[in-house]
Amino acid sequence: MNAIEIKNITKRYKNVTALDNVSFSFELGKIYGLLGRNGAGKTTLINIIANRIFPDCGEVLIDGIPARENMTVHGKIFCMSEADLYDKDLKVKEHFKWTNRFYDEFDLNKAFKLSEKFNLDTNKRFKALSKGYQSIFKLIIALSLNVPYVIFDEPVLGLDANHRELFYSLLLKELETGERTLIIATHLIEEVSNIIEEVVLIDNGKFLLQKSVEELLETGYSVSGFAKEVDRYCEGRNVIGYDELGSMKIAYISGEKPALPQGSNLQITAMNLQKLFVKLTEKGGGENE
Amino acid sequence: MNKFKSAVLYECSTKIKAMCAFYLIEYAIVAISFAMAAVSSGGAETYSNGLEFCSVFFVSVIGVLGYEEDFKALIQNGYTRKYIYLSTICMFLFLSVTMALIDTTIGNTIHYFNSNYFTFFGSIYGYGNPLGNWLWLTVLYLLFCCLFYLGVLVIRKAGKMVSLFIGVGLCGVVIIVISLFRFVISHETAQSIAEFLMKAMGFMGDGSVNLLFPIITLLTMAIVLGAGSYAIIRRTELK
Repeated sequence: MNAIEIKNITKRYKNVTALDNVSFSFELGKIYGLLGRNGAGKTTLINIIANRIFPDCGEVLIDGIPARENMTVHGKIFCMSEADLYDKDLKVKEHFKWTNRFYDEFDLNKAFKLSEKFNLDTNKRFKALSKGYQSIFKLIIALSLNVPYVIFDEPVLGLDANHRELFYSLLLKELETGERTLIIATHLIEEVSNIIEEVVLIDNGKFLLQKSVEELLETGYSVSGFAKEVDRYCEGRNVIGYDELGSMKIAYISGEKPALPQGSNLQITAMNLQKLFVKLTEKGGGENE
Repeated sequence: MNKFKSAVLYECSTKIKAMCAFYLIEYAIVAISFAMAAVSSGGAETYSNGLEFCSVFFVSVIGVLGYEEDFKALIQNGYTRKYIYLSTICMFLFLSVTMALIDTTIGNTIHYFNSNYFTFFGSIYGYGNPLGNWLWLTVLYLLFCCLFYLGVLVIRKAGKMVSLFIGVGLCGVVIIVISLFRFVISHETAQSIAEFLMKAMGFMGDGSVNLLFPIITLLTMAIVLGAGSYAIIRRTELK
């Protein structure tokens, strides 16, 4: 099976359970959003997939092969991480040269072309780059690697709006050119909501849900109006959260969107991905709670 | 194999610059010091001996950096711990062989022109065996690389407090061993242990010197420390 399969992964740090029996899979050829609040366990999971840390139990399979300490498997995957793991004294162009040696699939010309697009000075040392340009450098390496699985952990950290737009457009171009799996772990949900196909939601180290963006957005909607009317409407429905402003109230509901009764002053609107994410994780439980 | 070669090249090439800078600075200081000594003593003294000690210090630092920098960089690029360990050991070997060659050549050349200068090896085993000198220095440097590599791995794995206790424990062991030799073990046993250790370092009972023994001894110690490093690195997680 061409996929990253996460099977019953548990990871504990002293008294904290970072990941608790997490199981799901990333299929080949899709673009995923790995979402979760701070400390939800996203980076821990990414580090386990990338063989940087080991799970206490469970395993990760990449194309059906166990990923733990396996060079064959790790040639198929690249993880662009928030942490700076590169030699800070090397120049950008030297890093490109070395990545080209480490991976047969690295496109050196593309890396230099992208550097020009992002105005990245390849003669600068890594430590001399600003936080934003360090992220850009890491993004360029990830985008220039033609491996089947690429994971981006907080890819746009420190990037200005123009560079973020450029990155998203390049990401979309990547998807057109080949069958690859791109996994984006980010807090900027609205920015990636138009790019990602499927969402994996982790909360408090637990797997919450995995759904396509369309499917997910269809499952939730919001109802707004006077508090009393909203409360009446919500009776017997699966409410995942409320927002109140004076006598007005907005209820976020999970479930099919029914027609409003005639003469009702209530308004039904579709929920955006960020709002849905906030409400699902705010409650801290599953979608059916 | 190609990927392994790349890792070895990466580790070596990132250290070559540091090595060149080290020798440049070391020999610049030595040249000044020799010049001052020559002026003050009329060429009779050098006031500097055993420059290999500086190299021991340098390879120890490299032993620490072998983990700190390269582990992160290589794991980022999809290398497993086994490959990272093997490439680091190859880098240690490369540095030890190269630096031992440089130090043997330069040390013996200085001694040839000024007999008041003593190399580290020459002051223990005498002169006239450059190949033995080179091999001995190589395994000595390798030993220090492995020792400090293991040290940094233990500190990273166990944490500062536990490492501190290990350090105190090791000091305790040294004191206990000394006490054992002085107060518990009989004079004859202590004598035979000392003789064995002397032989291990190449000093035979008949007063001759066997260079093969210290080389094997140092190499065995380096292998033991290297094996210890592998036992730790295979379980090491990125922090």
